[in-house]
Amino acid sequence: MSAPPAPPVRVPAWSLSRSAIWLWVTQGVLGTLVYGVLVAVLVLAVPASAGGPVPLLRWLLPVLLTVYAVVAIGVRPWIRWRVHRWEVTEETVHALTGWLTRTWTLVPVARIQTVDVTRGVLQQLYGLASVAVLTASSQGTVRVPHLEVAVAHRVADDLARRAEQVRDEAT
Amino acid sequence: MTTAPWQTAPEVTAPRRTSPLVVLVHTITFRQARQVVPAAIPVVAAVGVDGPGVVVGLVLAVTALSLLFAALTWWRTTYADTPGAVVVTRGLLARSVRTVPNDRIRGVEVEAPALHRLFGLVRVRVDAAAGSVTGGDEEVVVDGLTRAEGDRLRTSVLTHRRSGAAADPSAPPLPEEAPAEEELARFDPRWLLYAPLVASYLAVPLAAVGALSRLLQELPPGLRPDLTGPDLTDTRVLLLTLVVALLLLALGAVLGAAVVNWGFRLVRRGGSLVAVRGLVTRRHTELEVDRVRGGTLSEGLGMRVVRAARVGALVTGLGAANRRGQVLPLGPRGEAVRLLGLLVDDPGPLVAHPPAARRRRLARAIGSGLVVTAAGALLTAGTGWWGLLAAGVVLTVLGVPLGLGRYAALGHAAGPRSFAVRSGLLVREQTVLQRRAVVGWQVRQSLFQRRAGLATVVACVGAGTGGYAAVDVAAADVGPFTEAASEPWATAGGPEG
Repeated sequence: MSAPPAPPVRVPAWSLSRSAIWLWVTQGVLGTLVYGVLVAVLVLAVPASAGGPVPLLRWLLPVLLTVYAVVAIGVRPWIRWRVHRWEVTEETVHALTGWLTRTWTLVPVARIQTVDVTRGVLQQLYGLASVAVLTASSQGTVRVPHLEVAVAHRVADDLARRAEQVRDEAT
Repeated sequence: MTTAPWQTAPEVTAPRRTSPLVVLVHTITFRQARQVVPAAIPVVAAVGVDGPGVVVGLVLAVTALSLLFAALTWWRTTYADTPGAVVVTRGLLARSVRTVPNDRIRGVEVEAPALHRLFGLVRVRVDAAAGSVTGGDEEVVVDGLTRAEGDRLRTSVLTHRRSGAAADPSAPPLPEEAPAEEELARFDPRWLLYAPLVASYLAVPLAAVGALSRLLQELPPGLRPDLTGPDLTDTRVLLLTLVVALLLLALGAVLGAAVVNWGFRLVRRGGSLVAVRGLVTRRHTELEVDRVRGGTLSEGLGMRVVRAARVGALVTGLGAANRRGQVLPLGPRGEAVRLLGLLVDDPGPLVAHPPAARRRRLARAIGSGLVVTAAGALLTAGTGWWGLLAAGVVLTVLGVPLGLGRYAALGHAAGPRSFAVRSGLLVREQTVLQRRAVVGWQVRQSLFQRRAGLATVVACVGAGTGGYAAVDVAAADVGPFTEAASEPWATAGGPEG
């Protein structure tokens, strides 16, 4: 292999809100708590004397839980924040996401059908919102998670207005 | 704005009923009465069936019930084709009103199943586009119109729809009252001989055999025909049985294809493509030329041997596109290519994908075989049982032609007005799309693709399956291809710098 190959597409310029990291950290903490309760119940309720894989599981599960906690709380939020990129230009909306498999979606403003802004419970806590740009194709959807609410609404309004002006009925 | 002829014509907006004859059809087919069958079975079981009198009474009761249900349904169902929408009202107690606005109507299909034909009736399906996200479709069925009324409804709905579209200056001139028909394709009965090599037609006789054997199992022992199976220990008998079975299978496939495709004709009438086909049920599908975005040429493994193919049109907002979009159900490849060329411009010869794509296909094809081989080697070393090892080696060896075949299918091309992508081993599908059809691009690159300098490019289209992929394109070609295959906005996707 020669030098690291250039990406086949232009990397979008903008990143998500920094608060997204803390939202993902919160999700990691919640996930860890849920799995922690399950593991605790298993370790406390099943006697060590039980046969089969129980003795192995009694120490393997807590180790796995710790690994999960470190990854989900300490590593994944930062990686996610780095790999999610998006950009709105004169003519297009594009987004790049994914760490191992990178997926890049490009949609021209003229073919936008609807722009959705959604806010989940955790997102409301951090003042975030997700934007989904939908077209006539089920696969041609640009999703940008976790933008600041004001930014999300501004982008959605702007795109909806511009799409209205240059709408191309050809779909 | 001039007054179009349909605006001066007296408009039929009053709700209409279907033909009363449909009551007879539905009585015979137990269409409505079917739903009471689960409730009726325990009743019959409780009363018990003994003596011919009870049986006759039962048959009469069921028929009367069916007649009652059919008549009630007929009485409570009305339809109306107004200038703005098609409205179907139905329901015995809970009334339901389906209103399909004309601008959402994507096509009208008139079909005549065998029994309907006996009574001179047809069934009209009105296809409507559903929301873009779900990609599903809705359809409104008006069952049991006289043939003339069915044709009137179809023409009326299509005329209304076009009048709505006429505001668009780019729309083509409105068709004349009786537009000239131009025949684009006609089914040659000799093409039926391709059927035994097409998987979907082969499935028909197999399913029939399965159903028949199930039925034999269900029959009471006294009625079961006492068949002694042939003596399969004799090689000659075995061979003969196999040959006869294969012949029957082929015959069944040909018959199945004939029933579905008999008398297939594709004509262009005004702004529509009209496809008619079917031996028992005549199916009449209308596609709007303006909404055609491209086509797919598919060739199964067996079809490629005899150079046969089928062609489907990709139409925006058309649901069940596999069935309705068929422009050539089965035919020689040359004919298929010609029809595809009528739907969309030929973008030129396909470009093969880089050698790295072949390595990747091969690696994926023999990967599972290698895993099994490794497991088998461990097992052989541990227990001395070599069955798994042998299976793994066979899988690995078989993976080589599989991977090469998959690679051979890959290709893409971009022409001045259209582009094409091709992939698939069992069913090789070449999709040709107009440049304007693209509503977005998706580029995917896995870790392995990144290292091999490849990427998968999906053209997002508001027709067919919604996305058509060029698998394992050279990463450097992604930008030029997306730019060449859609409008200038895709330039934003060019390589950095």
